[in-house]
Amino acid sequence: MKKKLEDYTMLRCFKYLLLFVLLPLIFSCQDEQKQIPISDFFKTPEKSFIKISPDGKYLAYLKPYKEKQNLFIQSLADGKERMATSFTDNPIKDYFWTYNNQLVFNQDVAENEEFSLYALNVKTLQMRTLLTQVKTRMWLLNRNRKEPDVITIVMNKRNPATFDVYKLNLNSGLLTLYIANPGNITEWYPDNDGKIRLAKATDGVDETILYRTSDESPFKPIIKNNFKNKVDPIAITPKGTSFYALSNVNRDKSALVEIDATTGKEVKVVYSTDKADVMDYGYSRNSHRLEYAGWEDDKPHKFFLNQESQDIYNDMKNKLKGSVIKFVDRDTSESKYIIITYTDRNPGTFYLYERNGGKLTRLSNLNASLKPEELCAMKPVSFRAADGMLINGYLTLPLGNKKENYPLVVMPHDWPRNRNTWGYNAEVQFLANRGYAVFQVNYRGSTGYGKAFWSAGFKQVGGKIQSDIADGVNWLIKQKIADPKRVAIMGARFGGFSALYGVSFYPKLYKCAIVQYGLINFFTYIKDIPPYRQPQLQMTYEQVGNPETDANLFRAISPVFHTEKIKSPVLMFQGAKDPRANISEINQFVREIQKRNVPIRYVLKANERYSFRSEHNRMDMYAQIERFLEDYLKVKP
Amino acid sequence: MTAGAHKNVYRKNFSLIAAFLVLITVTLFIALIIAYNLTSRYVENEFNLRKLDVLERAIKPYNDFFQNRIPEITSYQGFLDSASAGNYARSVFDDYSFVKSIRYNEITVGSKPENFTGNGMDISMKAVYEYKPNAKRVIGKRLVTDVANEDFRTMTAKLNSYIATADTSRVPTQDEIYRTFYDVQPSKISYLNIPRREEIRSYRELQKGRRTRALYKQNMMTFLLDVFALKVKNTHPELYQHIAIQPVVYDPLNANDNELRTEVAFPGAFADYKIYFNSEKVHLDAEVNRRFAPIAGIVLLIYVFMVLIGWLIYRNLNTNLKLFKLQYDFINNFTHEFKTPVSVIKIAGSNLRGDGELTERQRKHYGKILDEEADKLNELMNKLLSFTQIENRSIKLNKEEINLEQFVQKYINTFSIKYPDFKLGYAVAGVYNFYTDPVLLGSIFQNLIENAYKYSNPGQKELFIRIAFEKRNINFSFTDKGIGIPKSEINNVFKKFYRIENQYNQNGSVGLGLAFCKELVNFMNGDLQVKSKVNEGSEFIVTLPYEN
Repeated sequence: MKKKLEDYTMLRCFKYLLLFVLLPLIFSCQDEQKQIPISDFFKTPEKSFIKISPDGKYLAYLKPYKEKQNLFIQSLADGKERMATSFTDNPIKDYFWTYNNQLVFNQDVAENEEFSLYALNVKTLQMRTLLTQVKTRMWLLNRNRKEPDVITIVMNKRNPATFDVYKLNLNSGLLTLYIANPGNITEWYPDNDGKIRLAKATDGVDETILYRTSDESPFKPIIKNNFKNKVDPIAITPKGTSFYALSNVNRDKSALVEIDATTGKEVKVVYSTDKADVMDYGYSRNSHRLEYAGWEDDKPHKFFLNQESQDIYNDMKNKLKGSVIKFVDRDTSESKYIIITYTDRNPGTFYLYERNGGKLTRLSNLNASLKPEELCAMKPVSFRAADGMLINGYLTLPLGNKKENYPLVVMPHDWPRNRNTWGYNAEVQFLANRGYAVFQVNYRGSTGYGKAFWSAGFKQVGGKIQSDIADGVNWLIKQKIADPKRVAIMGARFGGFSALYGVSFYPKLYKCAIVQYGLINFFTYIKDIPPYRQPQLQMTYEQVGNPETDANLFRAISPVFHTEKIKSPVLMFQGAKDPRANISEINQFVREIQKRNVPIRYVLKANERYSFRSEHNRMDMYAQIERFLEDYLKVKP
Repeated sequence: MTAGAHKNVYRKNFSLIAAFLVLITVTLFIALIIAYNLTSRYVENEFNLRKLDVLERAIKPYNDFFQNRIPEITSYQGFLDSASAGNYARSVFDDYSFVKSIRYNEITVGSKPENFTGNGMDISMKAVYEYKPNAKRVIGKRLVTDVANEDFRTMTAKLNSYIATADTSRVPTQDEIYRTFYDVQPSKISYLNIPRREEIRSYRELQKGRRTRALYKQNMMTFLLDVFALKVKNTHPELYQHIAIQPVVYDPLNANDNELRTEVAFPGAFADYKIYFNSEKVHLDAEVNRRFAPIAGIVLLIYVFMVLIGWLIYRNLNTNLKLFKLQYDFINNFTHEFKTPVSVIKIAGSNLRGDGELTERQRKHYGKILDEEADKLNELMNKLLSFTQIENRSIKLNKEEINLEQFVQKYINTFSIKYPDFKLGYAVAGVYNFYTDPVLLGSIFQNLIENAYKYSNPGQKELFIRIAFEKRNINFSFTDKGIGIPKSEINNVFKKFYRIENQYNQNGSVGLGLAFCKELVNFMNGDLQVKSKVNEGSEFIVTLPYEN
């Protein structure tokens, strides 16, 4: 009798014990989908754009000060940080080091489309204004080691449609016109002495590579090809008579090649692969040689072209397990490197790598508040489109043990010069964290998969491009991954058009759409091409269509003419200062949809262009997205 | 005296009721008159207001065209050519039948020749096309370009002045858009596509004298409209007999007095036309009557309802009055009932107090009288008391088993001695013992037997008691050959204080007997019924549940 009682109490103890063991387990199951606050995903990075000074003694980077990006300098000798600028009106947009240890940078002034170029002395932190221009765009072309006080810049000051090359003396501020653009030249390529020997011209459809032997001799055309073919010069070889380039002439996928500058003939293929376009490369200005070729099929890859570079890379790779490594910057002596490493679950970490001794120092994290284990894996996927074409994409599933019937958000990327890549993406991770499966499609017309695949997307806006996206969604539904009743489509610019087109013409597939600064009218899209991109107009006609001869096609695909087709809920974001959008047209579009009693939420931010720059507006946008999806996608139908 | 008081009460009630009836009837008529006046005023208002419904409906496609389809031209961003403009024109003709033709102007904006000073913006007409609908198709033809064209000149002048003053840092307001890019004339709308901010800036540069070889394209459309193609639907035929589109100046003289008229002007490009409505008075009167009918019905219904309530109040008062009268009678009777034994006791008492010596016989006689009369009083009081108790359900059943045969025999013996001329008989069939309260059952027997004697003519005083078992119940039937109860009174005999007024009931009845019996039977979960024929006799049947 007593024994029995003991047994009973033991059983009860065991029961409680089991409960104690199980309870945290159940709890942790629910905890798996811990909601990360929106601000953690989309805040401005603490430090970004890290660049090392040519002498290797300083680091410069952008860091927010009173919510605006300002320039900071850190000494590598003692690790002390100094604030170099204190702008509170407009953030710094871009900057670079010069060979005389100065920092040159410009401010991003959205309101009146002006820019100011400043120079800053690192030792004294003295700031000088070099240039102030209205309605002008400018970028750095070259810095020259032999002439540290002079930089070469490209600017459309003379005529908004053409970019000329100027030399700017940093000490005197003297600006001299170096080469006047005859009108059709879009790119300039300096040699190692800073002299411009190569240029690329376009008439809109055909591209021409020009070459000259010296500053005095005229440019002579050496290669001419249609814009579908691409020759992108990288650097002129030390011999001076040939140059390295990425070229897909006479091949589908671009390769790293050496081209004879006088004849324009390919001398040799440095590296090529049939997996994807070679789009990335490493080039050493010290040893004047190519270091590696990079390409990306489902994930980024690198192939090293010499043992020395391979050794350095292997050393880094051993120290940073599993991450993708990108070379960001290096000093003149090429002994110190700035690299950034990332994965699909890590936004990016900057490191300083010292070649002597292989020392790796962690500099900063692009977003330290995110923990990789709380983020979701991005999985490369591929499927066959209805006509048999193989389409690649990426699928990100929320954490947890559930494997099917997810609410799905499809995110078509921008077009015509874009693709989705493997790596960290804040929007994707945010949506996955909120419990949505996220699908990115590299529909035909996406870059990186060769020119045949790219040009297959031409004049397929609203056609094959859209059906590839739909085929992908149907494929996910067939795999039982996506819940057929809960699919949303979301995108920016062209992706926003795809979203609107999707709910208009595939109303059964998509339950709602989110449009960020979307394109609603292709007439406007063509009209929107800014003057400095006019040379690309003819090319755009080939890619999308000609608004005059293809007016019926334009009318058929532009959502602005088909408001009556939109019956699903829509969330739209727009910056009122978007130079490429016609705000009255968008307002009219929204009004018409509202009149039809379709639930549309429209967010117009007064001081924004495209992609919201103010952190506050950005947070608001994602909060709205979260609420919208909760209202229309979370609820089981 | 009491009767007089009754009459007074009656008269007062009657005059009150009469006053009430008169008052609500007057109210009824006032309500009907006011309702009729309000209805006719309402209909008149409707006549003046509902025209807006008609207008709104007629003008809806025009508004849609004006607000959505015309601005669509801007969406083409100046890329329209003669073919795509034709497509656009067809879509307009398909949807809006009031558009009769569309003129499309291809306009180029460039700079004036070098030698020209002043405003350097040159707006020129490249080509003009005209589109007309023709049986589901569109016929387009090219017209001669006429720079002096009034529409073109107006629009270019507007554009010129807008470019000179426009604030390019913001989106143009709705007002600016309307004033600059629309030109609304009678039956004609011109529209110029709204240039983008970039273009407005470029145009301003041109105005200031910048020379460029670039030509900017603008599209201008002029729509010629026909107001008579608008579908004006009479949505209120009950109000308007005739609806017509008329010029805004239309005002016929020979209007007769029997006609009502109203009108409403079209907005926008149709502003020189109006919709003209007229109706004859008779038509509106019919509408007034139609709308008044349900109101009158409701008022009458309320009236009927009030009269009904008045009648119900009157009836309740009447019943209460009758009840009051019954109680009054009861007290009267009861007083008489008490009076007899009391006066006998009084006589006996005064005789006893008298001077003379009483003989033994006298003393015994008086003693007997006193004893008997005291018993009667006691019995009367008991009756009254137990009746009240039963009514209030404040007594308890003391059930015991009785032998029915013995029980009935006892009562027959008693009454035979009491009334020697009373012929009594009984029969008990199929049942011997019964479990019940003997006192209560006895009361029922006593009352019913007493009644049978009381309401029978001399010589016909007979009663037969039949006891039978039937379906779990036991029936006691008392059949007499008495005077019977008229059919009209059958329902009243069980009422308290009720007596049928006839010559037999003067002698010591209070009208409680049957009511008392009924209460008793109910109390014992049974039922008491009566069958009767006048001058032939009555049968009272007591049904009690049989329990063992």
